[in-house]
Amino acid sequence: MLLRNIRFKLTLWYIVILGIILTSFSTFLYLTLSRSLYKGIDIKIKSIAEVIASSSTNPYSQYSFSNIDRMLEDSFGVRPVTKFIQVLDESGRIGRKSDNLQHFQLPISIRTLKNASQGKVTFETIKALGEYPLRMVTVPVIRGRNLINIVQVATSWEQVEEALNTLLLILWITVPSALVVASLGGLFLANKALRPVDEITKTARMITSKNLEQRIKLRKSNDEIGRLAETFNDMISRLGRSFKQMRQFSADASHELRTPLTIVKGEIEVGLRKQRPLEEYRRILKSNLEEVDHMSQIVNDLLFLSKADMGEIQLQRNRIDLAQLVTEVHAQAKMIAMAKDIEVSMSTDSHVVVIGDRLRLRQLLLNLVDNAVKYTPEGGEMVISLESNDSQVKLRVLDNGIGISPEDQPHIFDRFFRVDKARSREAGGSGLGLSICKWIIEAHGGEISVESEPGKGSTFTVTLPVAPPEEELTGAKSMAKVPAFQD
Amino acid sequence: MRILIVEDEKKVASFLKNGLEEEHYAVDTAFDGEEGLALAHINEYDLIILDIMLPKLDGMEVLRRIRANGSCVPIIMLTAKDSTDEIISGLDSGSDDYLTKPFSFAELLARVRALLRRGIKERTDLLKVSDLSLSISTHQVKRGEKKIELTPKEYALLEYFMRNPNRVLTRTLIAEHVWDYYFDSSTNIVDVYVNYLRKKIDRGFEKKLIHTIRGSGYMMKDEPCC
Repeated sequence: MLLRNIRFKLTLWYIVILGIILTSFSTFLYLTLSRSLYKGIDIKIKSIAEVIASSSTNPYSQYSFSNIDRMLEDSFGVRPVTKFIQVLDESGRIGRKSDNLQHFQLPISIRTLKNASQGKVTFETIKALGEYPLRMVTVPVIRGRNLINIVQVATSWEQVEEALNTLLLILWITVPSALVVASLGGLFLANKALRPVDEITKTARMITSKNLEQRIKLRKSNDEIGRLAETFNDMISRLGRSFKQMRQFSADASHELRTPLTIVKGEIEVGLRKQRPLEEYRRILKSNLEEVDHMSQIVNDLLFLSKADMGEIQLQRNRIDLAQLVTEVHAQAKMIAMAKDIEVSMSTDSHVVVIGDRLRLRQLLLNLVDNAVKYTPEGGEMVISLESNDSQVKLRVLDNGIGISPEDQPHIFDRFFRVDKARSREAGGSGLGLSICKWIIEAHGGEISVESEPGKGSTFTVTLPVAPPEEELTGAKSMAKVPAFQD
Repeated sequence: MRILIVEDEKKVASFLKNGLEEEHYAVDTAFDGEEGLALAHINEYDLIILDIMLPKLDGMEVLRRIRANGSCVPIIMLTAKDSTDEIISGLDSGSDDYLTKPFSFAELLARVRALLRRGIKERTDLLKVSDLSLSISTHQVKRGEKKIELTPKEYALLEYFMRNPNRVLTRTLIAEHVWDYYFDSSTNIVDVYVNYLRKKIDRGFEKKLIHTIRGSGYMMKDEPCC
C-alpha cells in the first residue's frame, strides 16, 4: 500500500541513493585514513631505526648503543616513550634495548634474520604484547659487506586503532541519523511538491459531466505541476465543450422532433373534438402526413450522422466519372426545380475521374441542389458546374436566391443550424443536410466551402482530389495516394 | 374571452386558433416576437399563449416587456425543450404557467380555463348571476331550470358579461374581449349580438339581467337598473 504512494517511493529512492553515497564516502574515508595512519607509523619507526643504525655505523658518533634513549631525544627533540627499541648483534643476540621494554624483548624470526643478513628491511605486526598489536621494523646495519648489527624499532598500533575505532563509531552514529533526518526532509519535500497533485486529484474527483465548469486553482509557477494543472484544466474545458455540443445537439434534435409531433398531436386532438366535414379530416391527414415525412427525414439524417460519427458508414472506393454523375444530377435537378420554375444550367469537363462512393457523392450533389432550390425564389436560376485541373476537381452549385449573411456563413455546416427557422421548416429541411454534405466530402478527402451575398445568391464549392491514372492503381504502392477514407 | 397566440410555427398557431375558437374564445395570432408584443400593446387580451423560441424577439423577452409595461394578463409559455432553467426563468419573469411541446390540447384548455378563473373571486367552474348559470368547461347555460342554447359568439359574449357582473362594459371593451383583430368596429355588431343574447336570456323572465347604460354601454346586474 505504502509502495503505491509516490511520496514514499520517492523518499525511499532518495534514502537508498543517499545511503549508498554516505556508505561509500564513509568506507573511502575509513580506508584512506587507516592506510595513511598505518603508513605513517611505518615511516616513523623506520626513520627512528635508520637514525639508530646510522649512528651505530658512524665511528665518530658520540653515542653508543648504551644510551639509545638520550640519542633519540637529541635527534627527535622528544623522548619517544611509546617506541620500543632493541639492538641485536649479527647473530641475533640482544645487545641493548630501550628502558620501556623492561624485561620484555622484541622477537626476531628466522626469516627476518635472514632478510637482515641480506641487507633487507622487514616490517612485521606482532600480536603477542598487550591489547593492541605492535608494529615492528627490523633494519640491518651493514658495514662494508658485513652485517654487524640489527636495529629493531616497534610501536603499538593503539593510537591508530583507537582513532580508527572512534571514526567508525562516529560514522555508525552519524550516517544512520543523517539518513533518518534526510528521509524526514525528503518526505516533507515530497509532500510539499505533491500537495498540488492531491489538489488536482480532489478537483478531478469532484468533476462529473454535470459540473465541468470546475477548475483547478492555478498557482503562478510554471513548473511541472503548474503545467499539469494547466493541461488538466484545458482538458476539462475541451470536455466541457464537447459535452455542451452533445447536449446542444440532443436538445436541438429533440426540439426538431417536438415541433412536428406537436402539430400532429394538436391537429388530431382538435380534429377529434367534434364531428367534422370529410374535407376537414382530409386536410388534417394531409398535414399530418407532411409532418410525419418531415420527422422521418430528421430521423434518417440523424441516423446517418450518428452512424458517421461512430465510423459505421463504409465508403466504396470506386473510380467515378464525375462528368457523368453531374449530368445525371442535372437531369434530376431540372425536375426538382421545375415546380418553382427555376432554370438549371450545367457546364462540365469531359471525363473527370475521382475515387469515391458514387451513391454518397450523388447524395451530396442532390443535397446541394435541393438546398439551392429551397432558397431560390420562383423563376430563379441555378448552375451546376464541374471543372478540373491535374490535381483537383471543383464542383459548384450556384444559385441567385436569397443568399446567406456573412455572420451566418461560418455556421451553415453546423448541425441544426438554421438561418431562418420558419422558412427552412416550411421547405421541409431537417437542418442536417449541409452537415451531411460536409461529412461526405471530408470522408472523401475533399473540402466544401460557401460564398454568398444576401439577396444575390450563394455558391457552394466542393473540391475533390483527382484520381491517379488507372495503371498506377494496379500497383500496391500507388494505393497510398488514394485519400484515406474513414471507415 | 380574447386570447393572443404568439407562435412562429404556423401549423401550431393554426390548430391552436381553430381549437380555441371552437371553445368560443376570440383568438389573434402573431408569428414573431415583435408582432406579438405589438398586438399585446394594442389590444387588451384576457390571456396570452407565448412560444419561447421566436424569430426577431424571443418569447422570454416578449414576456419581460409585457410585464415591464405593467400588464398582468395571464401568460402560458410553450417550450420545446425540457430545460428546467428555461421554465424557471420563464416563471420568474412573470409567466403564469407553461406547457412542454408536444402538449395535450385538452390540458391546454384546462389550463386556459384555470388561468381565466383567477379573475373571479370564487374559484369555480360555474359562473352565476341571479338564477342564470354558465359552466365554463361544458358551456352549458341555464336560466333557472331552463337550458339555453347559444351560438358560439353569443356564448362568448355572455361569458364576458358574467365574468364582469355589475360593471359597465363599453362597446369597445366588449369588442376587444369577444371579437378578434379582424373585427370591424365601425359596425353595430356588438349591439346586434347583445340583442340576440337578451332575447335568449331575458325574454320571458321578469327579472332582466342585461341592462343598457345610456351613452356608455351595457351592464349585467342582478337588480333592476336605476
